[in-house]
Amino acid sequence: MRLFSSYHPGVLLVYFIGVIGISMFTMNPLLLAVSLLGALGFAVQLENRKAVAMSFTFYIPMFFLIAITNPLFSHNGVTPLFFLNDQPITLEAILYGAAIGGMIISVMYWCRCYNLIMTSDKFIYLFGKAIPKLSLVISMAIRFVPLFIKQIKHINTVQKTMGIYATKGVADRILSGFRIFSAMITWSLENAVDTAASMRARGYGLPGRTNFSLFRFTLKDGILLSILAFLFSIVLIGSSLGVLDYSFYPRMSSIQISPVSVIAYAALVILLFIPFVVEVEENRKWNYYILKI
Amino acid sequence: MKKDLLALGFIILAIALILSGTKFQTVDEYYLTHIDDITADSKTVTISIRCETIRDNWNNLVPELQSDEFVPQDGVILPETTYVLREGDTAFDIIDRAVRYNKIQMEYQGANLNSYGSVYIQGIHYLYEFSCGPLSGWMYRVNGVFPNYGCSKYELKNGDKIEWVYTCDLGRDVGCVWMGGEWNGQ
Repeated sequence: MRLFSSYHPGVLLVYFIGVIGISMFTMNPLLLAVSLLGALGFAVQLENRKAVAMSFTFYIPMFFLIAITNPLFSHNGVTPLFFLNDQPITLEAILYGAAIGGMIISVMYWCRCYNLIMTSDKFIYLFGKAIPKLSLVISMAIRFVPLFIKQIKHINTVQKTMGIYATKGVADRILSGFRIFSAMITWSLENAVDTAASMRARGYGLPGRTNFSLFRFTLKDGILLSILAFLFSIVLIGSSLGVLDYSFYPRMSSIQISPVSVIAYAALVILLFIPFVVEVEENRKWNYYILKI
Repeated sequence: MKKDLLALGFIILAIALILSGTKFQTVDEYYLTHIDDITADSKTVTISIRCETIRDNWNNLVPELQSDEFVPQDGVILPETTYVLREGDTAFDIIDRAVRYNKIQMEYQGANLNSYGSVYIQGIHYLYEFSCGPLSGWMYRVNGVFPNYGCSKYELKNGDKIEWVYTCDLGRDVGCVWMGGEWNGQ
């Protein structure tokens, strides 16, 4: 049982919006590192270790691609390393690219966790009444990627069964990938239309339609929500005072250390590690009770 | 397997093409610029780079640039200096040589990268376009006149006086009227 996913969907949504927002709108390397670690820790608790390790094979090349691309377009910075076509490649630009890469990867990991925790029934429960069409579109869009991957495997297997192998080297594999991809495009369009038609047939979004859900706002949700509100307000006050500011150009600023900034950083660390700690604590309890039996 | 080798060949060809059009220089090599000695019969021009308008619009400047290191107290980045004019030199050639000789940072957009077919100076000495409000950037004037075209298209003649000035108000605060006269902020 994942304890964090047993909280009320509203609380979970507030948490994810806040955390992803914080990670997206900062360039502070310390904060980005904490956010990445928090997201990774959470992902390791939710998925098995193998899946997380597999994801590195995609994220690490992407990180380096972003880090290398930025200095080709941005030449600001006081430390030129060498000159490329009369334009400086600076240390600041490379590190800025690395920070952007880290930020994108941490946001992607948070979204992975979001995907596992906030299932589409929770999302529809929250927004189905207020904005039925948009919430259906959003939940379908979020569901799209895992569904797409599942269907790719499916079609791949079918193609192999039909005898269309792709074993003659890399170029052949890429071409067969294109063939599967073109099949996927047709399938995904058709699937979207099917889903929409099916929901319409069930009377989704009509006035007066009731639905059953298991979610109830309990005391434990209230406690978590108030803790989140408290921590988010500390972070917001801190960032409006400018203690979390960081800039790369033209010279990298130093991370501010003052009583206010330490409080803001502490609040951020607690905030970003809440789901990790909740899951670890739950696992510890679970193992303890198993031992007692 | 044959297809693989073919694809590999194309990738290597593409990388070789990209690298052949790329010039690598170390920092020392880049700044090692030869400036001709001024002799009695050489043609010369003077060039200066100034940004005193930023001091009047200090609050609009992005916070990370708000220091004397990036914006000198008197606004002078390069005082008026005389350099030899080589045959066919444009306003861009002179500033390129001057900033390299004095090790001043400069970033520009090459002439083939924009629709004007002329080099566009984006930033000098870490002060970029829009660093001091949405109407800010670098402009140049020759003998007190703002030419309404790019600096790599302006061919210089003997005795020209080039001034690079930073504007915070689309040229009006440095005395440029061809755009500011009709345009009134709407």
